[in-house]
Amino acid sequence: MTDIESPEGATTARDKVTTLDQAAESVPDGATVAIGGLSMNATPMAFVRALVRRGAKDLTLVPIVNGMAVDWLVAAGCVSRIISGLISFEGFGLAPAFRAAVQSGEVALEEYSEHLLIARCQAAAHNLPFMPTKAGLGTDVLALHPDTTRLERDPATDQPYVAATPLPIDVAVVHAHAADTVGNVRVDPKLVWMDSEIVKAADRTIVTVERIVPHAQFTAAPERTTYPRFMVDAVVETPWGAYPTSCFPDYTHDAAFFKAYSAAARDPEDFKRFFEDRVVAPPTPTAFIDSNGGAGTILDIRRRTT
Amino acid sequence: MSPTATDPAAAPDDQASIDELMVVTLARVFDNDTKAFNGAVSFVPVAAYLLARATHAPDLVWAASSIAVDADPHELGESTLSDSIWGGCSMLTNSPFDFWSYAQGARYNTFAFRGAQMDRFGNVNNTVIGPYDNPKVRLPGGGGMADLGCMIPRIFLWSTTHDPRTFVERLDFRSGMGWGDGGDHRQRLGLPGGPRLCVTNMCVFDFHPESHGMRLRSVHPGVTPQAVQEATGFEVLLPDTDVPTTDAPTSQELRLLRDVVDPTGMRLREFR
Repeated sequence: MTDIESPEGATTARDKVTTLDQAAESVPDGATVAIGGLSMNATPMAFVRALVRRGAKDLTLVPIVNGMAVDWLVAAGCVSRIISGLISFEGFGLAPAFRAAVQSGEVALEEYSEHLLIARCQAAAHNLPFMPTKAGLGTDVLALHPDTTRLERDPATDQPYVAATPLPIDVAVVHAHAADTVGNVRVDPKLVWMDSEIVKAADRTIVTVERIVPHAQFTAAPERTTYPRFMVDAVVETPWGAYPTSCFPDYTHDAAFFKAYSAAARDPEDFKRFFEDRVVAPPTPTAFIDSNGGAGTILDIRRRTT
Repeated sequence: MSPTATDPAAAPDDQASIDELMVVTLARVFDNDTKAFNGAVSFVPVAAYLLARATHAPDLVWAASSIAVDADPHELGESTLSDSIWGGCSMLTNSPFDFWSYAQGARYNTFAFRGAQMDRFGNVNNTVIGPYDNPKVRLPGGGGMADLGCMIPRIFLWSTTHDPRTFVERLDFRSGMGWGDGGDHRQRLGLPGGPRLCVTNMCVFDFHPESHGMRLRSVHPGVTPQAVQEATGFEVLLPDTDVPTTDAPTSQELRLLRDVVDPTGMRLREFR
């Protein structure tokens, strides 16, 4: 038994702490990578930037509902295929590099819906041939994927349903609030949304966290553990690791970054310079935040975080 | 809810702007049994849920961002998918499995969505302009609307750009299911309910009870049925009687919307 009085707790389990660069190295070219987060929330942006900087190639992305992470990886030429429900910057506009690459045919987009992808993750997680759902019935989405979203009828009731087949995911990457060194993870509050489904579906999971905490914090409040250590393969401590997306309740998204990025995208040369200087070049997560306003930006985001 | 001459506080206020008229019109059709949630860039329906709850529907359920049940925000933030609107909520929904159980099980009964194109049966396109494989414009994608259009019995549509590019004869892609091909299409697919109303910056449509084609229910002040037809890419069905003007908001509704529900005017982000 673990002694909760001990400051470090007591666990003999394997240490899973690694660095951003090592974690990015562990994702091979050509891999299928599911990226956590929802829209402008809780996306593992520091890890995504490490993938950009390592020059990953030929990735298949699974971002169920996302925006900036996909745009960076597409702008950097890391992506050949995207399996997604929705990619945008909400009220800040369309994701410019994503939009251009799909329109030119440079990147293949397989559009599903949110729940069709969740159902495919659940089929994979449960090791079942398919998960039934009503999602997509009557829409044009099903005809795009006759093999993976099959229209069927229940033999007993004659009710139509969609058979969503397992979605193969090599690596899931999610951002969370806290982990211990052996890979127990806490999301606080529970903005897990779709992250938990990609974690269960993937062969391997990398978690970036705001902070690594003593194991004893998990044994003292085990009901707050979101992912158990056997579901997690690597842990990277990355404060502000979701920036410029949000990580509630710690910080909200950086509206100024989204606006500046969208504004730069109106001109190809401006965008190239902006992307190189403010996204790719900074060598560390700290340098990245420094290149986007540093402490002033952090304080402004803190002020706007409810 | 109708204003009376004996109640000066409820007298119609001619000063309502189009965004206010749209929010109030939607709010009035959300009854006390409404159990709603919202997606991205949904300031108009979010303001309408809050206004309905503050007036005639005190038991209305609204899950902010589909996550924060019974939220009571001080103001609407710049994202309807952020914690800026979760204040005062009694539950943060733990998992997608919970949410999709409530949605597919129709425990949530109300959802509102919009898109770049809409057809006569209230189907919506937010995927591509042009062919899917060679798009002229790649749009964000259907996201949850392809799911929720199938699962939720009370669908509400809105548009702040009533023109022939938005209201089209034929969608380039059907991302979200309304009444499908019309008639009993939803029933044949085993889908509950369907679209009830579409509120635009020109008028209010309901749907013919059998064909389920869009039918003009009222026109906003200064708009004629002919102008609606000219701004619409398909033939608009007309009611048997004259088309009335959309009921004006009361001064109480306007005060609540302006001072309590959306004091910073975030709903205007949907109007360009």
